[in-house]
Amino acid sequence: MQFNNVTCPHCGLLCDDLTVAVDEGVVQLQTPRDVNCSKAFADATISADLPSPKIAGREVSLDEAIHKASEILAHASQPLINGLIADVQACRAAIALTEKVGGVIDHANGKNIRPNVAIMQRLGKVKTTLAEARNRADNVIIFGSQVLDRFPRLMDRILKPEQSLGSQQTINKSITVLDAAGTETSPQISQHESINYQQLELDSLDSIIQALQNVIENNSATAADDNLQILHKLRDQIYQKNYTVLIWSTSLLDAEAAEQTIQSITLSIKKVMQDVRCVGMPLGGSKGEITASQVVTWQAGVPLPVAFMSGVPQHDPVLYNGPEMLEKQEADAMLWLSTYRSTDTPPACDIPTVVIGHANMRCDDAAVFIPVGIPGIDTRGLACRTDSVATLPLLKIRDIGLPHASDVIEKITQQI
Amino acid sequence: MAIKLTGGQIYDPTHQVDGETRDLYIIDDKISHDLPAHEKVTQTYDLSNCIVMAGAIDLHTHIGGGKVNIARTMMLEDQHAHPHEGNELCRTGCGHVVPSTFTAGYRYAEMGYTACFEPAVLPVNARQAHMEMADTPMVDKGGYVLLGNDDFLLNMIQQGAEQSTINDYVAWILHASQCIGIKVVNAGGIHAFKFNQRRLDVDEKSPAGITPREIITKLSRAVHELGIPHPLHVHASNLGIPGNFKTTLATMAAAEGLPIHLTHIQFHSYGAEGDYKFSSAACEIAEAINSTPNVTADVGQIMFGQTITTSGDTMMQYFGHEHAHPNKWTVMDIECEAGCGVIPFQYRDKSFVNALQWAIGLEIFLQVQDPWRVFLTTDHPNGAPFTSYPHLIKLLMNRSFRNDAFNIIHHDAQKMSNLASMEREYSLYEIAIMTRAAPAKILGLSDHGHLGAGATANITVYTQQDDVERMFAKPALVFKNGVLVVKDGDIIETVHGVTHVVKPDYNEDIEKPLKKYFDDYQTISLPNFKISNDEMEECIGSQVKVHPCDKS
Repeated sequence: MQFNNVTCPHCGLLCDDLTVAVDEGVVQLQTPRDVNCSKAFADATISADLPSPKIAGREVSLDEAIHKASEILAHASQPLINGLIADVQACRAAIALTEKVGGVIDHANGKNIRPNVAIMQRLGKVKTTLAEARNRADNVIIFGSQVLDRFPRLMDRILKPEQSLGSQQTINKSITVLDAAGTETSPQISQHESINYQQLELDSLDSIIQALQNVIENNSATAADDNLQILHKLRDQIYQKNYTVLIWSTSLLDAEAAEQTIQSITLSIKKVMQDVRCVGMPLGGSKGEITASQVVTWQAGVPLPVAFMSGVPQHDPVLYNGPEMLEKQEADAMLWLSTYRSTDTPPACDIPTVVIGHANMRCDDAAVFIPVGIPGIDTRGLACRTDSVATLPLLKIRDIGLPHASDVIEKITQQI
Repeated sequence: MAIKLTGGQIYDPTHQVDGETRDLYIIDDKISHDLPAHEKVTQTYDLSNCIVMAGAIDLHTHIGGGKVNIARTMMLEDQHAHPHEGNELCRTGCGHVVPSTFTAGYRYAEMGYTACFEPAVLPVNARQAHMEMADTPMVDKGGYVLLGNDDFLLNMIQQGAEQSTINDYVAWILHASQCIGIKVVNAGGIHAFKFNQRRLDVDEKSPAGITPREIITKLSRAVHELGIPHPLHVHASNLGIPGNFKTTLATMAAAEGLPIHLTHIQFHSYGAEGDYKFSSAACEIAEAINSTPNVTADVGQIMFGQTITTSGDTMMQYFGHEHAHPNKWTVMDIECEAGCGVIPFQYRDKSFVNALQWAIGLEIFLQVQDPWRVFLTTDHPNGAPFTSYPHLIKLLMNRSFRNDAFNIIHHDAQKMSNLASMEREYSLYEIAIMTRAAPAKILGLSDHGHLGAGATANITVYTQQDDVERMFAKPALVFKNGVLVVKDGDIIETVHGVTHVVKPDYNEDIEKPLKKYFDDYQTISLPNFKISNDEMEECIGSQVKVHPCDKS
């Protein structure tokens, strides 16, 4: 059976122009055939011998697994609800569960969420969305060529449009990609001759971004070294063009420096905005973190991570940082929700772990493992795109008997 | 099984009932005036010394969509300062200025509201807006979808499309986004801001080659010809600019006699007189409303204190960002259809401008003669959080209270306002009009906003008190669809409301150019852009209730 306009949830771009065929449970991408992306539905084939729920590696019924999971979470004094690699409905259910057990909720990619939230709280932001970048931008600066690997169809679908609502300059955008010297270059760079690719003699993308901010804010006319000459040229170009988009992915920034770096981008944009249009377009969401962030923010009133220990939602990126809680043994049980890929396994820890996961996931150490459907293949749902504006529908295109993660979590919650 | 409400003073302006003592019955989810022979009363509420009104309706409150989440994230201190504990019935949450979704629903219900309408649903963000509203319990919801800065419409107008084609597009977008009305924000101005234009007047050509006036004219006609009950809901150009009342008058005229609703009109009623080059034009605006029967307005009253402004109007939000308090601001260009600006703001009674804004809002309330055409809003959270409504009602109903408040605002602002001389005090009947009967009427919700036989049993009962602020803050009883959900101001039962929508007829040929537009320029496919009824229920989490459009 063939399905059109299928949404792929495997990176934050949420491309929804796929045609997919399903034959006896096997999902195959039909079009676009030459798609520059290996992510789409790579992990969708589930063994014909459908995996069973397990308690400590032993096969059990779904009801038994749910009962055991609820016992573990109900008896924990500080449970961590983690992962959230899931659709809207499962995130809604996970928040209700966290509230019920008085736990902490965080996302697998929390380290990429936190610096963006911190800068939004300190400065706000100036952003754009994919269609604006596609139609309005005449100048694009991408920090890190690996952005193109992580968002494989960014060039084809967004930055190199065949047609545009704007001028010819928005079709033939000036696209600059900056890397730190010695960085492995994305193969996509050589596929697009028009890209102005520069490696700068600086130690990281963070240093490049902070140096560009200095050039923009200080407005000095001369540049001593090659790096500065490149950056000065970029600054001049930003002021000469009509609509510049700065693109980065927090996942490529140094975790320690990311907050400072995003502050630099934000301040640079706000400075340029005094005279010409300039916007940011951070790319993320490959593990569903945009979806989780949105749902948690509207339901809890504060962004991830959130603790419900005191009976009310509290956001504290230091105290309730999932990985650190595990490292410091501050959590005494964990629920790991991960539905898109079998490779997104729970972090190593020695506390009882309930895994609600992709059916192909290997997690032999889990106290409880409950295989669930893949959103967009086995279960219907919704996912939020990288720009936090568009929400795309995920279709159910096959039925091999895997439940929706949200149904499983709701049942666990009911039993607590 | 029937519930009897006996001995209450009924305020039902839809049926010209002004404080008469009558009995009402609730049978299932409907109101009845008589007890049918086969029904038995299972519960009686003695409402002597009580005031009975229909459930209140907020026709302009920002409770859902991406901008609210941005505001929640930016207002962390306020969120933490206002925690709301959950219990067996209610989910936990937080926030005063921009509460979490559950909290917003509970607060509205506790004040006797049974329906709320989100006035800025961006088409591409409609799913999220509906999801947030679906997670807002207790009340019915609905949205006005944003047009007038979308490239598709601007190009259509620029190329001289027939009115009927524009109508088809307007109807299509209502279906696709599951909304009940059409909203325009700074017509053409958000689009122009993407081209670095910082101001756009009503008769100025935008980068799209058309004027805001043309957009308003075409859209107000489309809404009218499609029979959509709610008039075009317009956030006019030049918000907040001294002297902008002329723009507002020009915007009213752009509707060419067809129905038009000017929203948060307080922000659009400014003169440029006096030492501060900022003055009240409330009189001119109220006179225009009084003499132009096709015009309705909600006020967007400001209250003193901290809030955050969330708006689609990137052009004017960027203009105002220097006044951000605390000093942070967000502006977004959105998907060739709209934008969003979020700026924290503190209104201070010792600021000349803020004090005069406060007075201007009240001057408009008191000078618009017909309460059916002026609505009680604070443009939540832009003028103030919705929880300030009871205070606002007291300002309108009690002249001495109002004048006491007036006497402590900035002295120069007092000199520039004639508020103290206004003797009018709103009656309970008029409050019932502007918070119940009129919003239901203007939204086309024929079985809401009144207490007639057959109406949906959304009923709010207040214990009579001298202090109307206290009275309106904490109703004695609130029934939602016949279920008693609030008692003495506390939630005793949780329910989920529906999403009110309209689905006007249209020629489906409009999908041909739309398909080409989506294929050529957009980043979502046309089929995935549209939200089905089925998706509303199964994935988004809200049932759709369709209201008729009347083309006659």
